[in-house]
Amino acid sequence: MNARIDVWVLGASVVAVLLYLLFPIVVVIGASFNPTTALQFPPSGFSLKWYQEIAGNPDWINAFIVTLEVGAITTLLSLLFGVPAGFALSRYRVKGKTLVTALLLSALVAPHIVRAVSTYLFYVPLGLNNTILGLAIAHSIGGIPFVVINLGASLRSFDPTLERAAVIHGAHPVRAVLTITFPVVAPGIIVGALFAFMQSAQELLISIFVLGTLQMPIAVKLWEGVRVAVDPTLAAASSLLVLAALGFFLLAALARRGAAPAPNA
Amino acid sequence: MAGSQDSGPSPTSPAPVLPLFQRSWFAPTVLLAPTLLWLIFFYIAPIALMVWRGLMDTGLQGYIKIFSSDIYLKVFWNTLQISIITTIGCLVLGYPIAFALTVVGRRLQALILVLVTLPYWLDYVVRSYSWIVLLGRRGLINNILVGLGIVDQPLPLLFNLFSVCVGMIQVLLPIMILALFGAMSRIDRRLMLAAEIHGASRWRAFRTVFFPLSLAGVYSACLLIFISALGFFIVPALIGSPRQTMITQSILVLAETLLNWTDAAALSIVLLVATMVLTIIYDRFFNIDRLWGGDQR
Repeated sequence: MNARIDVWVLGASVVAVLLYLLFPIVVVIGASFNPTTALQFPPSGFSLKWYQEIAGNPDWINAFIVTLEVGAITTLLSLLFGVPAGFALSRYRVKGKTLVTALLLSALVAPHIVRAVSTYLFYVPLGLNNTILGLAIAHSIGGIPFVVINLGASLRSFDPTLERAAVIHGAHPVRAVLTITFPVVAPGIIVGALFAFMQSAQELLISIFVLGTLQMPIAVKLWEGVRVAVDPTLAAASSLLVLAALGFFLLAALARRGAAPAPNA
Repeated sequence: MAGSQDSGPSPTSPAPVLPLFQRSWFAPTVLLAPTLLWLIFFYIAPIALMVWRGLMDTGLQGYIKIFSSDIYLKVFWNTLQISIITTIGCLVLGYPIAFALTVVGRRLQALILVLVTLPYWLDYVVRSYSWIVLLGRRGLINNILVGLGIVDQPLPLLFNLFSVCVGMIQVLLPIMILALFGAMSRIDRRLMLAAEIHGASRWRAFRTVFFPLSLAGVYSACLLIFISALGFFIVPALIGSPRQTMITQSILVLAETLLNWTDAAALSIVLLVATMVLTIIYDRFFNIDRLWGGDQR
């Protein structure tokens, strides 16, 4: 009897907290289908006109393209620097490992405004302000830790005897890593890349400082939009972003499932 | 390394190194050096230069000015107050969920984890704005309360400390839940079972065995949330009033609108130092390696 009450109280609090967490998503997606101009929930009808408005507005399309460009370069740089570092940190006994790890992970908690102001001042003589590459470089600092964390988690659950077996059977160790280990931990790398992309797409402060308002990624455009006038296009644009993320996420989940059985090298 | 104190589920202690690279400093150096240089050049150097320039420009004068200005002191106080309330709120709401995650079946656990991480994909600006729909004068809550005749006047739920905390807790709660869940899954459940076998009620077993063991995880998760909360900006800017101005907002206004880069840099450094000190404390007591110990995916 007593135990039952425990379970009910716990279950009810889980449901309540989940409702609280998910409320904004429901409101935003709901409001994006609202036919009237107010950001309203529950919506008073169903209409796709705000999505059509985005599709027909070069400003919004440009914002999506800028976000995609910055995100793609950020992801590439994060992989380029994150994969070797993650591999080295989880496989070798490195001197000063704690320091290196702390440096890497500190980017996750360093206040964005500090990185924004300092990067802007640093970029002035380098001429990197107002460039896509400059912003992507700055975003890669926040993307690398995600790749390192996810790769590290995958490497930890990877059975190293597989790799040793390949070496014993005559494979060069480098080849063993490339053909045995990497395919198995690839899903971890993909999830890391996904997080690296999304943190870039959502980052606001560094984008404001480095890119200015000439070229606006979606995050900056939403920020500017909210300050001027709120209409459901903002809800529609961010719903699209959520959908894109969910699509990516499903792909990553599929990749994870597909890679679960040992690959035949 | 946390290796010695790691009693986690993965039995793989430091993975065996590849034969070729055994006892070699060569491979890790080649793998790590480019990343380190990249971080030093594009992350550490800009911040170091900003600090250096700030000291050259105004010396300590700038900081004395900041710490003796009523406006900035008020902003520091706001930041501190909001961050503390947010941390406590996240803990109170997050602890039951994290605990539930450790007792439910695998399927339900996966489902709850997906639902908990889902909000992360929604843009912060729009996410904050969505609270206006719920908390505004003509928002859902006030409509219901007035409609049912519980209150005559709409309650002031928006553009105050309450709404800022509601918004910030929603953003940081998933991190709290994941961090607590990671720590709780390291607790040996058999200890609770042992207490129950010896006659303790389930609640007493939880209170006297599980809860004390989870405290280390609680402290570390709270510190993490508090550090993250210090730098917040979108939520207080959109659903707070000027009375809830936080430090990041001040820096943005100084730099963007007033073009006062000296004060902006000085305030940034104050925020940075606060964050760094807390991060070092975190590392000393909770070992920052834990963060990437594979508990959080």
